[in-house]
Amino acid sequence: MAWPALVWWTVFFIVPLFWIVLYSFGSRPGAEAPGPVALETLSFDNYRQALSEIFFRVFQITMRTAGLGTILCALIGFPVAYAIAMHVPPRWRSILVFLLIVPYWTSFLLRTFAWRIILAPQGTLSEVLQAIGILGRPLLILDTNAAVQLGIVYNYLPVMILPIYVALERIDTSLIKASMDLGAGPLQTFLQVTLPLAAPGLFGGLVLTFILAAGDYVVPTILGGTKGLMVGNLIATQILASQNLPLGSAMAVMLIGLLAGVLILVALLLFVLQRLLKLVRGAPL
Amino acid sequence: MAAIFLFLYLPIIVIIIYSFNGGRNLYVWTEWSTHWYGEAIDNPRALSALYVSIRTAVINAMIAVSFGVFAGIALARRKGAWTVPYLGLIFVILGIPELVSAIGQMIWFDRLGIFDGITRLSIGHSLFNVAVVALIVRARAEGLGESLEHAAADLGARPWRGFIDITLPLMFPAVLAGLLLSFTFSFDDVIISLFVQRPGTSTFPIYILSAMKAGLKGDVAALAVMMLFLSMIGIVIAAWLIARGGRGRTLGGLLG
Repeated sequence: MAWPALVWWTVFFIVPLFWIVLYSFGSRPGAEAPGPVALETLSFDNYRQALSEIFFRVFQITMRTAGLGTILCALIGFPVAYAIAMHVPPRWRSILVFLLIVPYWTSFLLRTFAWRIILAPQGTLSEVLQAIGILGRPLLILDTNAAVQLGIVYNYLPVMILPIYVALERIDTSLIKASMDLGAGPLQTFLQVTLPLAAPGLFGGLVLTFILAAGDYVVPTILGGTKGLMVGNLIATQILASQNLPLGSAMAVMLIGLLAGVLILVALLLFVLQRLLKLVRGAPL
Repeated sequence: MAAIFLFLYLPIIVIIIYSFNGGRNLYVWTEWSTHWYGEAIDNPRALSALYVSIRTAVINAMIAVSFGVFAGIALARRKGAWTVPYLGLIFVILGIPELVSAIGQMIWFDRLGIFDGITRLSIGHSLFNVAVVALIVRARAEGLGESLEHAAADLGARPWRGFIDITLPLMFPAVLAGLLLSFTFSFDDVIISLFVQRPGTSTFPIYILSAMKAGLKGDVAALAVMMLFLSMIGIVIAAWLIARGGRGRTLGGLLG
């Protein structure tokens, strides 16, 4: 019964991925040649070009924006998840989770677009900030990296909160009580009992947020202008505007490679950390 | 915590309010007016894009449910060595940057050259949604357990009878939720549509995106709000159906 879906995914998901890899080694065809890509001679030229200074810079900015966005989401999201899981009566928990998901599932495009109204230099927020003297001039963060950063944190906050919440909600509260009964203070209990038990959720949230943020196209397109470029726009521009499918494909392959690399690195780091803690404390994390 | 919820809902509230801004400049509040709603409804290009979006979303949702339900039931009922890599593939499909999958589909559809615009869009949107439906149905099937199916078998029902009369009806809330979510995700999609669309079959979000780039007027905000309400209805019902079955856990597990 699982076969039809597998066939569907193979034909329309896995096969296309192979085409991207193949195209990334092709070249732009001459003026009279048919088709979007010449595949007679395959080379690494596109990768060399994708690593050139201008493009490499965009990759750097993307990793920084996604990384900082992920950290900010975790710093804001963990307390929220903790409050919902530990301090809200069960009846209200599902309602809050529901309220958290509804905006996330509604159109990404529109919620991002709305920030243009909020952040507009001649808009209400800008006027209010000037009137109370916080700003001496109109708010000028639209079409910069700062607006993209805000958009990323806004859009992916629920992606961070939910996995952490799920992990925290599953914790058997008697473990926390036991820790307190045995004389550990609230801070020690949090660090040695709650946090380790919530670690899988936190890890899931970090990974998911980072991947989604690094591959985003909508936020930098709408809020970033020309100054807030990310890899997502860069790839789309190469393919849709410059008609350079081979270069766009190479960048897409590099994006996937980079994300996979970060994932492996984080997993390794976690593994080493766990081993170290085991050595130091003689107990599993 | 209230501040966080305000933050999450602020843009939605703002866009709804500003769609009633009668002024020529969307950003500067002048007066209450439904003027732009009139303009928005009177726009043939927007309406034809809306029609493309609805047709795509319906076909996509039918594909997603017909493949996803069986995959989900199999994942819960026929566990084996195959489940781990299969789930792995599902998470790759859900986690891969949409942009990458969109480029691959554009290349592949162009090479095949046999699909029209709506078909390309529907297939493109369905890949993610088959995975979503599979996970929702799997969660429901695991939550219910197998006792009713065993009872049917003990009472002499053949496997296919038990499947049609017991398993499928029990999955109904999950199927309905999956159908609604697939419809909404397709209806809201930007990236896949941007790449796989053909000239003449732009979807509604793509129309809004190009209108935004051309310069913002109130009619875009009005269109946006109408779109928001349509998808909000589907989402609220779907989230309620899922939450009723498995409480917050299933909802949390489905994000992404």
